[in-house]
Amino acid sequence: MAKLTLVEAVNDALKTEMREDDRVVILGEDVGVDGGVFRATLELIDEFGEARVIDTPLAESGIVGTALGMAIYGLRPVGEIQFSGFMPPAYDQIISHIARIRWRSRGRYEAPMVIRAPYGGGIRSPEHHAESPETYYAHIPGLKVVIPSSPYDAKGLLVSAIRDPDPVVFLEPKKIYRAFREEVPEEAYTVPLGEAQVTREGSDLTLVSWGYVHRVALEAAEMAESDGIDVEVIDLRTLNPPDHATVVDSVAKTGYSVIAQEAHSVSGFGSELAAVISEATFFSLKAPIERVTGFDVTIPLGAKEDLYIPDAERVHRAIRRTVNF
Amino acid sequence: MPPKNLVQAVNEAMMVEMGLDEDVVVMGEDVGVDGGVFRATLGLIEEYGPERVIDTPLAESGILGTAIGMAAYGLRPVAEMQFSGFMTPGFDQLVSHAARIRWRSRGRFSASLVLRAPYGGGIHALEHHSESQETIYIHTPGVKMVIPSSPYDAKGLLISAIRDPDPVVFLEPKKIYRAFREEVPDGDYTVPLGQCNVSREGSDLTLVSWGYVHRLCLEAAEEAQEKEGLDVEVVDVRTLSPLDFATIAESVKKTGRVVVAQEAPQTLGFASEISARIMEELILHLESPVIRVTGFDTAMPYHSMEHYYMPDVGRVMRGIRKAVNF
Repeated sequence: MAKLTLVEAVNDALKTEMREDDRVVILGEDVGVDGGVFRATLELIDEFGEARVIDTPLAESGIVGTALGMAIYGLRPVGEIQFSGFMPPAYDQIISHIARIRWRSRGRYEAPMVIRAPYGGGIRSPEHHAESPETYYAHIPGLKVVIPSSPYDAKGLLVSAIRDPDPVVFLEPKKIYRAFREEVPEEAYTVPLGEAQVTREGSDLTLVSWGYVHRVALEAAEMAESDGIDVEVIDLRTLNPPDHATVVDSVAKTGYSVIAQEAHSVSGFGSELAAVISEATFFSLKAPIERVTGFDVTIPLGAKEDLYIPDAERVHRAIRRTVNF
Repeated sequence: MPPKNLVQAVNEAMMVEMGLDEDVVVMGEDVGVDGGVFRATLGLIEEYGPERVIDTPLAESGILGTAIGMAAYGLRPVAEMQFSGFMTPGFDQLVSHAARIRWRSRGRFSASLVLRAPYGGGIHALEHHSESQETIYIHTPGVKMVIPSSPYDAKGLLISAIRDPDPVVFLEPKKIYRAFREEVPDGDYTVPLGQCNVSREGSDLTLVSWGYVHRLCLEAAEEAQEKEGLDVEVVDVRTLSPLDFATIAESVKKTGRVVVAQEAPQTLGFASEISARIMEELILHLESPVIRVTGFDTAMPYHSMEHYYMPDVGRVMRGIRKAVNF
């Protein structure tokens, strides 16, 4: 069993599914000859040919619109958008068409397609390359939204997303594309959509996050351990449909919760979770749920992004504030 | 000062501001000769001519993109999208450009523009004509987000929006465009952006909403008084971004119970943000959790089904009872 990075696991998921199912096709800017801007589609064109790995023009709306047509007529397209900050030109196709085709056709058509995009900050990129726009998709009925935080989950969740009968927006935390390796099985396997994972058990506080910030959360939990605070860490993995039960059960047990995300605060997914948890566990809560988030500004350029993206220190401080409320 | 309805008040805001400031221009699909799909721009082209009241092609991205250029060079464009469900083709221009021009240029340019659109359900419209997508704009830093619920506020808020140095998304609840009339002063006046309005005082529960649903909440408050003897305070948010949380907080400290009602789907609707914030900052004042009364997490249904989707007085009342009996 090979040890893969997250981006290699994404590549492996695509390769495995393309071998298993010849309806799976890939399309996007530079996904073919070049192997993708982050090399997520490396060498797929060599194995599967240019009829199944399609280099498209620089036209995001066209990529996902074409994918929708392919999906309706029986293919299983995986469209890549080079950065999630480039998804807005395709927004109309995604929310006005892709998200609604099952509903609009009263179940006659479906759109079994995936839109993949590297997302989040942390790599010193220029403008429009570092956003965390999950709210724009998780708010839209009809779209599933998945954000993995590890190589194993990335492969299993992407295989599930490709096999899912409905459209899935699959956001890949690019800061940890190559941050670490873990064992990833060679064969196709699935990690089910809609299931959060308790990645660290604890009894004192529930720390919820997803994507890159989940790695930060694990670090912050270690820091809290030295204060004698036993933190339970939950990786949400699928934002829509959300697994409220896992989160609510944990908070009912611990009585304290912190939610950490990279996106800015106002109407970030952390707000939705905080509202749900507070409503469901009102009498179990011993302190308010603190949200550790980016700030309500455009994500800054260059080294300033370190001030914006939550780090383990900030999450650790929130943990201490919450248990000492 | 004859009574006017909400769409007449919107029209008057533009008529007055265009008279006071020649930098104000209006643009959009059918806003000129036709006077706008809901007649919000009626008579403007006769008064100000086709150079300032511009009939555009059917191209939302082009309308907004052109408005950004006009604004960056000193005009104050008011762009109309025929329905808020048609704003998505212009989404990239809004979030990637209009919202950021001040930040991107380190303050050298700003986009003093207004993007107006009729929004919400309740008129038995077709697909893409009934959405409540305020979350998308609230979640975008750099954009202000306003939703009036009365003719008086509509005029005063729209004048403030036109004069604001930054981009404002101005969503008009079309179900109440012609639902009632109220006194609207002639001439110019402003209702400041970023201020909630306590439209009914009460001491037992705080009922927060905006747009059309605010009208329902006023009705529900009356019913709660008559049937349950509950004294409900009703807050009309009016500006969703930036949010006047202080007014909401003051009310919650007094009442201890909150219901937030909206037309949008529940997941990531603005009610969730308000709920999270109240729970985070005011938990020790709360006697029950914040209850959200919302649309459902589906696409807005067509025609005759939409009344199942949109909150009504009965659903707001159930929310109130849930909060009070928790």
